[in-house]
Amino acid sequence: MTFLLLLAVVLGTGLGSVYVPPGEVLGALWRGLSGQDLAGNDVIVWQIRLPRVVMGVLVGASLGVCGGAFQGVFRNPLADPYLLGVASGGALGATLSIVAEWPRPVIPLTALLGALGAVAVTVALAREGRRFPPTRLILAGVVVGSTLGAASTALILRGEDRARQVLAYTLGDLGFSGWRDVATVLPYAALGCGALLLLARALDTLQLGELTARSLGVPVERLRLLVIVAASVATAGAVAYVGIIGFVGLIVPHVVRLAFGQGHRTLLVLSALLGGTLLVLADLLARTTPLSQVGIVTTLLGGPFFLWLLRQSRE
Amino acid sequence: MTRALTLTAALLAALSTAASAVTYPLTLTDDLGRKVTIKAEPKRIVSALPSTSETLCAIGACDKLVGVDDYTDYPAQAARLPKVGGLYNPNFEAMIALKPDLVIISKYGKLEPTLTQAGIPVLAINPETYDEVFSKTLTLGKVVNREAQAKALVTTMKRDIAKVEILTKNAVRKPTAYYEIDPTPYSIGPNSFMGVLLTKAGARNIIPASMGDFPKVDPEFIVKANPQLILGVDAKTAGARPGWTSIAALKTGKTQEIPAELGNILSRPGPRLPQALRGLAKIIHPELFK
Repeated sequence: MTFLLLLAVVLGTGLGSVYVPPGEVLGALWRGLSGQDLAGNDVIVWQIRLPRVVMGVLVGASLGVCGGAFQGVFRNPLADPYLLGVASGGALGATLSIVAEWPRPVIPLTALLGALGAVAVTVALAREGRRFPPTRLILAGVVVGSTLGAASTALILRGEDRARQVLAYTLGDLGFSGWRDVATVLPYAALGCGALLLLARALDTLQLGELTARSLGVPVERLRLLVIVAASVATAGAVAYVGIIGFVGLIVPHVVRLAFGQGHRTLLVLSALLGGTLLVLADLLARTTPLSQVGIVTTLLGGPFFLWLLRQSRE
Repeated sequence: MTRALTLTAALLAALSTAASAVTYPLTLTDDLGRKVTIKAEPKRIVSALPSTSETLCAIGACDKLVGVDDYTDYPAQAARLPKVGGLYNPNFEAMIALKPDLVIISKYGKLEPTLTQAGIPVLAINPETYDEVFSKTLTLGKVVNREAQAKALVTTMKRDIAKVEILTKNAVRKPTAYYEIDPTPYSIGPNSFMGVLLTKAGARNIIPASMGDFPKVDPEFIVKANPQLILGVDAKTAGARPGWTSIAALKTGKTQEIPAELGNILSRPGPRLPQALRGLAKIIHPELFK
């Protein structure tokens, strides 16, 4: 898996719409790392391609890990990182910035606030005293998601000439990801995914059923809340800059499970690696073919692949 | 009574032959590929496209307009008319209440089925390429019985465009240019309506025709092409993009937003096309307009 991710990073950095010979790519990386002056294609490799690839790794890994954790905590194979309204909240925040024509650096901020706000509302709606029943969480997520989605649509219709930009966001796009953006997303991804990895063992226990987990001393409600908060932090960071990328968070954990079994520690680590790999490769396709948006690639290729995988596993 | 009628009929016939060469019913294929028959000269028209409103007014049919879309803001006479919604939020009730005998729509949006069901004649006219701006002007002229005026307008437009082209053709250097229409980023190909204007204004578009008319561009392609001029983005935004400070246009301070008013005209394939070209040429070659 690690090898696959490295391969994807090498491909993603080496290939693009502008041809740069391999020797020059390596030279550019060296000059970038050692802080020398960049000339010619160096700028393309070091300031455009590499940060874009790194962003792909971060976002893909976050989506993979959060998908795996959500599927585990809700014990629902259809759960994905956007289950509790992160995506629609982020989209609403981004749409607001875009339609109001606020400066570009503001977009991720409002998206982040929207994403976290949406999850907070979902959790508050689902609460029953000190408990957070999974079914209520999912239902509340659906309601919050569609309400915020409608609000975004209303905003888009008011700012029609900005519709294309909003559409790009809701389809996911890694364009213009620079080192600064990577540095902003990194803490969210690290904090969120790190916390989820620490919770992996507890998630394993939860798979035996809520009652069993309780009798084994797992604080089920607190675990659920912790997973939700950690996953929302990571996903909100992912959504803030690149928008909503479909299918990665849903599919990746399933692929890992089919190949390597159920244990959450392996599952989450490998989901991070595979998620990063897939997103970097999908973005490479998006950059170099008319498919043009990474979210379109993941959904177009992800759907059929997933169905094929299901058939295989049945046989 | 009968005599009065015959007289009126004769008078009307005489008037109409004097005024026009268009005979109704007129049948034509519109831009949705529909065969449309216009029974008589339209007298109450609703225009659902700003460029259509402008063209109708420029060929002396402004008084036929009874309603316009939300985005029609020129000329003043058309801008004052009742608004009937936009492309995605058409107000059918307002349209039907105006009792139009023709609604001229774009080929986008979904206006046609509803209006047709309401029994209102619909015609889709949608100029998209540079050449279509002229051909559709002539079509509109035919539809509203203003053929001579439409021909005259096309002649004037072509003459005014040639005036600008003579200036830019002789420009000493033609800068390579990147024109951004949307920060995702989307640009314009050389065969698109705006792309043709960019070339005529004396710039060399960095986007090759093979990329299409409105391509989404990979940022690294723009950096590699290293344009001497960037239009449609302000310097601050462009400078903040990864790797863009190395682009020639940013180093020499040749990055600028298109003024809102000009951007508005530039995106309209209508009678103000020469004005749009002149405005663009002034930005690219200020030295030619001193």
